[in-house]
Amino acid sequence: MGFWLELAASGLITGGIYAVVAIGLNLQYGLMRIMNISHGEFLMLGAYLTWLAHTTFGVNPFALMPAVAAALFLLGLVVYRFCFYRIARTAPSVEVIEARSLLVGFGLMFLVQNVVYLAWGADLRGYSYLAEPVEIAGARFMANRLAVFAFAVAASLLLLALLRWTMIGKAVRAMMQSPTGAQLVGIDTGVLHPLVFGGGLALAGVAGGLLSMVYEISPSMGEPYTITALIVITLGGLGSVGGSLIGGFILGLVEAFGMHFTSPSLKMVLSYGVLVAVLLARPRGLFSR
Amino acid sequence: MPEALLAARAVTVRFGGLVAVDGVDLEARHGELVGLIGPNGAGKTTLFHALSGVLAPDAGRLLVAGEDLTGSAPHVFAAHGVARTFQMPRVFRDMSAEDNVRFALQFAGRTRRHAHDAFDDARTILGFLGLGAASAVAAGALTPARQRLLEIGMALGARPRVLLLDEIAAGLTPAELETCAQLIRRVRDELGVAVIWIEHAVRVLMSHVERVAVLHQGRKIADGDPRAVAKDAAVIEAYLGEEGVGSEGGRERRVA
Repeated sequence: MGFWLELAASGLITGGIYAVVAIGLNLQYGLMRIMNISHGEFLMLGAYLTWLAHTTFGVNPFALMPAVAAALFLLGLVVYRFCFYRIARTAPSVEVIEARSLLVGFGLMFLVQNVVYLAWGADLRGYSYLAEPVEIAGARFMANRLAVFAFAVAASLLLLALLRWTMIGKAVRAMMQSPTGAQLVGIDTGVLHPLVFGGGLALAGVAGGLLSMVYEISPSMGEPYTITALIVITLGGLGSVGGSLIGGFILGLVEAFGMHFTSPSLKMVLSYGVLVAVLLARPRGLFSR
Repeated sequence: MPEALLAARAVTVRFGGLVAVDGVDLEARHGELVGLIGPNGAGKTTLFHALSGVLAPDAGRLLVAGEDLTGSAPHVFAAHGVARTFQMPRVFRDMSAEDNVRFALQFAGRTRRHAHDAFDDARTILGFLGLGAASAVAAGALTPARQRLLEIGMALGARPRVLLLDEIAAGLTPAELETCAQLIRRVRDELGVAVIWIEHAVRVLMSHVERVAVLHQGRKIADGDPRAVAKDAAVIEAYLGEEGVGSEGGRERRVA
């Protein structure tokens, strides 16, 4: 019994992180059709920021999360202004925005990754935080993983609440459903786009910070998360933030159980298997209407 | 003569080599109900795109209450009181009808106060449009005709001074068409909103508007009293081969 609980929990914990990364990417893609393939690199930056601040100043990593989110948000505003603003302004159609932002994202990916290689080298980095076992219902968990899971779920739910009940959240949802309609009821894309792009990177940064508490980090850690996030978005539906949350958990669980019954080396096969199955059965995502 | 609320001056819109709207002047004054007609492909909807900021014109100027908004984004036009509907409704499909209207009230409508009560409450607006019973229904689940009505509600929620209606009566029966026309008059009469109305049901449109402008191949070929326009040789020429002006009812037949 305890074993199955541990297995499910490990799936849900990874899933919680997947959800945070995927929600960030989904906001960018769902709202602006910016296919930000460098999303994972900003997750990596968040991980390095957390690691650096924790090991240098000894600050509690959870207490650092708001600062990491704020830093990545500001970076997002800058990246949007210099990399994606012109694309969004000059593209004749949304398909062109997707294609061009994909290329720009590739460039950003190499740039950010190599800057971090230059600054801190290719070595794995890490620190130990709350690495003590806790026993619940006969199952043993690492305390840091439980804390990370709780934080990831809380952050996702907070974001869902913001989207549901704040003016800016309503504007974001309206714009996802009907970009032109949203503008005609007076919503300003010029303000909303950079804010949401920054918000997406802030979420990536938080996900990275959370990962740094449980895994070792390296400059190349981001890429797989970009791919995972793409799978989760497809699973949950483009533009559906709640779908990304549930999709993240589903993928985490499938990976945990799948790797247990097959082999850990088949992790990506399992993820892609889920993606292919969803594309065949429900091409618009599990939770699309 | 009062200043025009919305004025297009020599507006031109090109798509590559095609000139969709060619140097068109059009005005709507306070409380005026203006019809805009023309054969398919005449550039009516493209002109609306320009008048609402959805497309920036390649030449010419757009003035809203005397202020030059040429090249501004749609939300700026909305904030200055220009609201519109689309042939294919752009409602927020996953939200309830009431939320759709409330949205317009909260965003574009927030910046202006209007004398009429109907502008202050989503339910009142829906009631005014005859959608009161559908207020909790998701907008995407409404029939296309009702989605167009809902879009008028969203437009009214933005507290407009000028309302641009693009074929809101498409697909309606003759009886529904008349009701729809009455509704448009009520918007103008009771709320004091200037309306520019595009419709293919030319006869119904002509019997309700005070002024009608005719577009043909991107150019404005007539603008004036509907009875005079219906007798205009250029207008009849433009409509020949498609439908004679005012011929749908079969009663007023005028061939040059």
